[in-house]
Amino acid sequence: MLEIEDLKTNFNTYDGVVKALDGVNLSVKDGEFFGLVGETGSGKSVTCYSALKLLPKTAEIVGGKISLNGEDITHASEDRLRGIRGGEIGIIFQDPLSALNPVMTVNEQIGEILVLHQDDEINKLAEEKEISVYKSEKWKGSPGVEFTIMAFCISFISLFVMLGQFTFGLPFLFVIGMMFLRDYLQKDIPESALDLMVVEALSRVKLPNPKQIASSYPHELSGGMQQRVMIAMALAGKAKMLIADEPTTALDVTIQAQILQLIKDIQKEENMSVLLITHDLGVVAETCEKVAVMYKGKIVEEASVDEIFTNPQHDYTKALLNAIPKGGKERLKVPDIGEPGAI
Amino acid sequence: MSETIITIKDLRKHFPVKNIWGTDIALVKALDGVNLKIESGKTFGIVGESGCGKTTLMRTLLRLVESTSGSVVLSNELTQDNYSSNNLEDLSNNELRSFRRQIGVVFQDPMGALNPRMLIKDIVSEPLVIHGKTDNVRERVIELLENVGLGEEHLYRYPHEFSGGQRQRIVIARALALDPKILVLDEPTSALDVSVQAQILNLLNDLQEKYNLTYIFISHDLSVIEYMCDRLAVMYLGKVVEEANTEELFSNPQHPYTKALLSATPNFGKDKEKIMILGDVPSPITYLDESKAKLATEITEQERLEIEAIEEKDIPRFKRTDYIFRSSLNEALPLKKVANEHYARVK
Repeated sequence: MLEIEDLKTNFNTYDGVVKALDGVNLSVKDGEFFGLVGETGSGKSVTCYSALKLLPKTAEIVGGKISLNGEDITHASEDRLRGIRGGEIGIIFQDPLSALNPVMTVNEQIGEILVLHQDDEINKLAEEKEISVYKSEKWKGSPGVEFTIMAFCISFISLFVMLGQFTFGLPFLFVIGMMFLRDYLQKDIPESALDLMVVEALSRVKLPNPKQIASSYPHELSGGMQQRVMIAMALAGKAKMLIADEPTTALDVTIQAQILQLIKDIQKEENMSVLLITHDLGVVAETCEKVAVMYKGKIVEEASVDEIFTNPQHDYTKALLNAIPKGGKERLKVPDIGEPGAI
Repeated sequence: MSETIITIKDLRKHFPVKNIWGTDIALVKALDGVNLKIESGKTFGIVGESGCGKTTLMRTLLRLVESTSGSVVLSNELTQDNYSSNNLEDLSNNELRSFRRQIGVVFQDPMGALNPRMLIKDIVSEPLVIHGKTDNVRERVIELLENVGLGEEHLYRYPHEFSGGQRQRIVIARALALDPKILVLDEPTSALDVSVQAQILNLLNDLQEKYNLTYIFISHDLSVIEYMCDRLAVMYLGKVVEEANTEELFSNPQHPYTKALLSATPNFGKDKEKIMILGDVPSPITYLDESKAKLATEITEQERLEIEAIEEKDIPRFKRTDYIFRSSLNEALPLKKVANEHYARVK
């Protein structure tokens, strides 16, 4: 599915060049649950951002090859990359609240991805059901007209109030009232095809009352629900691969268990590939089939999950496993590894 | 058996929720009858998920928020028989100042706790200056820094020049500046990597031995809690649902929530039994209107969806998985009865 060969990424800073990635080899197969473990600064996030070219301007890919389904995307155009991001590879970020736009409803945010990547599907659904494509009938009249009518009414009312003849203002008050009441009186407003698809995307991630959640803003949802919305967004473009960058770090353990279970279920149902980036070895042990351990921009060990926990080969992996408190009160062994992010 | 340093009796903190006219419509019961005894020289752990009242408990202990009812009784070790009362609620402002001198606090995010514009020497000496201990400040700061594994060469640097672990060391040095008897550690390692976490935990253990400190350790990482704590309280929705010695609690958890929490922590044992909680964390709001209050124990839509999804397929990775409905953990009905009624078992 995704293959990365000898990838090298540098960051140019005032203090010199930081070699964030120093020859990374990674291959995620179809339908595989792959874990990428490492400490802060080891380059795990940079690896996946390099693959999607989501790097800041100071970063530079200086060598290596990235291929997706056999297609070389190392020097892909911006248009092609836009198709890949969200369309072929979906991403879940660590902190759902900062990854979601606070001033857009869930409906608008998921809708954006659907319009970008699933436009044909939306049109097809609209034709089938004979409903409008993007906007529900509720907004048929343009907001500009509504605003103008309301402004006129208000100015007439205030005019009559000033003249001391409030009774003449009553019809205008009635008009304003009707405008507000219209949405409530018109009960079964046909939804657009886009709305239907958003609701479907939300129910895929087991969210209750998807219609209500679609019309709410991110801050109105709990952390677990926000992460579910993020997953729904990542899946909306019918991606065949999912990159999850620390998806559960910001969540409580009981909610973490739910979210990991959900990702696992979806991976099995859709036979997706998942690249899970995490610093928590426990999470890897519970979910992944294969693990790669990163250290200072290199992959130091790659093995199946059972192997890496029962028989770690590399010294760094051993040190990492030893540093986790495991019952008992004996002194923790601090790995002698220096600063992880040294230049 | 060591002495009790702080006794918390039936402590309650209710935050009122007001409607647009300013009348109370509901209460957020952040603390709802907490009874704890914190022993001197030991580490007391508090576990629970976000919103369960851990931080409010910490803030009421420092009297940063006033409690609604209940009392915090201080031992003579803390009051030194100088105070007018042993009750935290009855202390005068001056006494409160001297009481707070005896409690140091270490917060979760070290970068957020350090002023980015202040030099390390100013940061560590600030509590000394505030409390008027101005002789030999420089020597005292160097001593404090050496205690936590830093040195004189770090005095004239800014917080951004340090790594996360070093910053946490600075925060600990500052917390120790006034020779406190108690150190409140609010998730001190959750922002750190495992290797750095190991360093900090070792440091905390050394300091406890050296100064005979009492730790109140708040965390959601159960492996860290198990390693550090002697006694442990599990909180859920403002209540302590279980309190026991660490070994006892880990080997024989009693409350269904504790069981689920223990099994939800990812670890390497693959074939263990798994207990999963279905549904989202409930809102801690209790409506004063009783017709609304009863809804809390009904099975929510989220739980129904999740149990349906589970019934469709089996999960082969674990020997057996038990499921608890989150609503069954709520307080409105007697807990055990509800827990048994809704205790679903699949495969």
